[in-house]
Amino acid sequence: MMKEYFTDLEEGIQGAIRGGNSSPKKFYTLELARLGRRLYSGTDAIAWCGITAPFDLLNAMGVTSCFVEFIGAMLASTGVVGSFIEETDHTGYSSDACSYHRSVSGAAIKGMMPVPEFLIGTTNPCSGGLAVLENLACRFGKELFVLHIPQNDSAGNVRFLADQMREMVAFVSRITGRKLDNDLLRKTVENSNRACGIMREIFALARHVPSPAASRDLSNFGIVMALFLGGEQAVAIAGAYRDEFRRRIDAGDYGKSGGKFRLLWIQNRIQFRHGLEKMLEEEYGTSIIVDELNDITWDDIDPENPYDGFARRSISIPFNGTMARRVEHLKKLAREYRIDGAVNPCNWGCRQGTGARGLIENGLKEIGVPVLNLEVDCVDSRKFTEGQFRTRLEAFMEMLATRPPLWR
Amino acid sequence: MYYLGIDIGSLSCDAVLINGGSTIVASAVVPTGARNREAIARATDEVLRIAGIARADVAAVVSTGYGRDRVEERLSSVTEITCHARGITALLPGTQLLIDIGGQDSKAILLGKEGNVIDFAMNDKCAAGTGRFLEAMARALQVDIDDMADMDIGAEGKQSISSMCTVFAESEVVSLIADGAPVNEIVMGLNRAIAARILSLVKRTTLQYPDMKVAMSGGVARNAGVVRAISFLMDREVSVPKKPDTVGALGAAMIAKEKNASRRPVVSA
Ligand code: SF4
Repeated sequence: MMKEYFTDLEEGIQGAIRGGNSSPKKFYTLELARLGRRLYSGTDAIAWCGITAPFDLLNAMGVTSCFVEFIGAMLASTGVVGSFIEETDHTGYSSDACSYHRSVSGAAIKGMMPVPEFLIGTTNPCSGGLAVLENLACRFGKELFVLHIPQNDSAGNVRFLADQMREMVAFVSRITGRKLDNDLLRKTVENSNRACGIMREIFALARHVPSPAASRDLSNFGIVMALFLGGEQAVAIAGAYRDEFRRRIDAGDYGKSGGKFRLLWIQNRIQFRHGLEKMLEEEYGTSIIVDELNDITWDDIDPENPYDGFARRSISIPFNGTMARRVEHLKKLAREYRIDGAVNPCNWGCRQGTGARGLIENGLKEIGVPVLNLEVDCVDSRKFTEGQFRTRLEAFMEMLATRPPLWR
Repeated sequence: MYYLGIDIGSLSCDAVLINGGSTIVASAVVPTGARNREAIARATDEVLRIAGIARADVAAVVSTGYGRDRVEERLSSVTEITCHARGITALLPGTQLLIDIGGQDSKAILLGKEGNVIDFAMNDKCAAGTGRFLEAMARALQVDIDDMADMDIGAEGKQSISSMCTVFAESEVVSLIADGAPVNEIVMGLNRAIAARILSLVKRTTLQYPDMKVAMSGGVARNAGVVRAISFLMDREVSVPKKPDTVGALGAAMIAKEKNASRRPVVSA
């Protein structure tokens, strides 16, 4: 089913692009479809991973790797997630756990997750992710390698993580029988650096007032781009976004919203179909111009000494470490993007999402940015009553409309 | 000219008609029932009948409440948060914090001087502590919901209700009755459980509430026992306007008047 789904998706998008209906989002979705097809091809060496695994390093070793939450998001977007979640619940998994993980676990139980060669877990961003990988490792009878990501980038910590990454490479080599080619690694690092450089340009353009970014443009962008790093496709996707944003600014094309209000979306987007973003754009002139998980870039990685750079990048992800660091990152985004308000969906069962709710709200309010806290299960559409969330978002927008502008 | 505000909630449909001087000329509350449109028509007919005017005399309609988009003749729809804020400011000027408990929502709304919303918090996930919750508890106690309002009188606060899930709270109440707990203590326990939930919404909105002028609106504000419990937990006087369930509709009517003025600006020769 999944193989057919991704194949159809790939062909559909290719057809649209050939027919002249192309956009950066289409290029990006095309690569997602290709990745999905490869994961389910039955021929590729695949690895299930945590969200912050060094995918460029794995790509350089010829492993088709992906974080498991991607499958949860896919099942949610196709509207079939409920039966997978139920499957997990039947095994005794808590129904209060994050639905990304419950849906993935259900997919594995139903035989919808291809058997990987190995699994790579990361201690960041959440222990729930690590737990589901351990579950999958047991189910598939495959080895799990865990990267323990330290909380700050002291020299000792960087060395500690860099050494783990070297061990990871040895682990992958042992299992796949493939050696890491140094020339390919250098090329991979250069591509990652190029993609990151273009991403910096994209985010700088998105900060423009009005912003060229429409609500759906960069949805899930930062987190998913990590999967393509090291390859030419990451550079191509990033380039397409940058060029399109430039074009929009030059043409004064600010979409349906016209850029009246600028929102920051905290953590995950809602992954299933809903009408809230459209409503915000069309009825309130509002775009989500930045996501917490998008504007994440890192210092260029030295191709001659890549492991320290990979380690520093993993440590620097704002989701890693104390909540104070995350709050500072959000404040920085709010200032740089001149945000009018922030929306925190507080994904059910996520300690990062719900546990930090008050701290994030207070931190942003300190700089005058109001925060709307929702309580959404971003994956399980069965718990979603759109009217309830509409009312909260509409009231938030009505409130913003009566406030003096914060930045202009 | 007249302006009509309609607040269509899960339990009741409220209509308020104001005149050009923003004075209330009629109000009506009818049960929503299963058919929203019928409830809207009944509430509208009722205020027109009381005011003795024709539909054509109404210059603009603004709707609010969860069924706000079902009001076909609306000039626009506005959320109940904004409408309650506007309505309470007209009725009890100077209100700084408004607690609104309706059929399936509860809210704490922080207000600016003009009745603008500065911040708000709403109940999450479930409808515990709202009008529906009280209805279920009245059923469990086998009393009329209106009679519950004074049933806490004389209680000393000896009984607490630990469950806020409507189903579990209902069975907790049934077991307390079976154990012979006095009804007034059970009712006070229920009222305080609702008040505790409201207090957490208030605290999420502002910690300055002990120095604020607090008011309450929505159908549950008619229940004096709940108001007393909220007042007790907040250690603050909580003011309630005469017809708390029509505050949202009043706010909607006032917004209708404003929006109508900006739609048709008066041009002097
Ligand atoms: S939403 Fe939270 S619990 Fe779920 S995958 Fe993301 S960080 Fe982990």
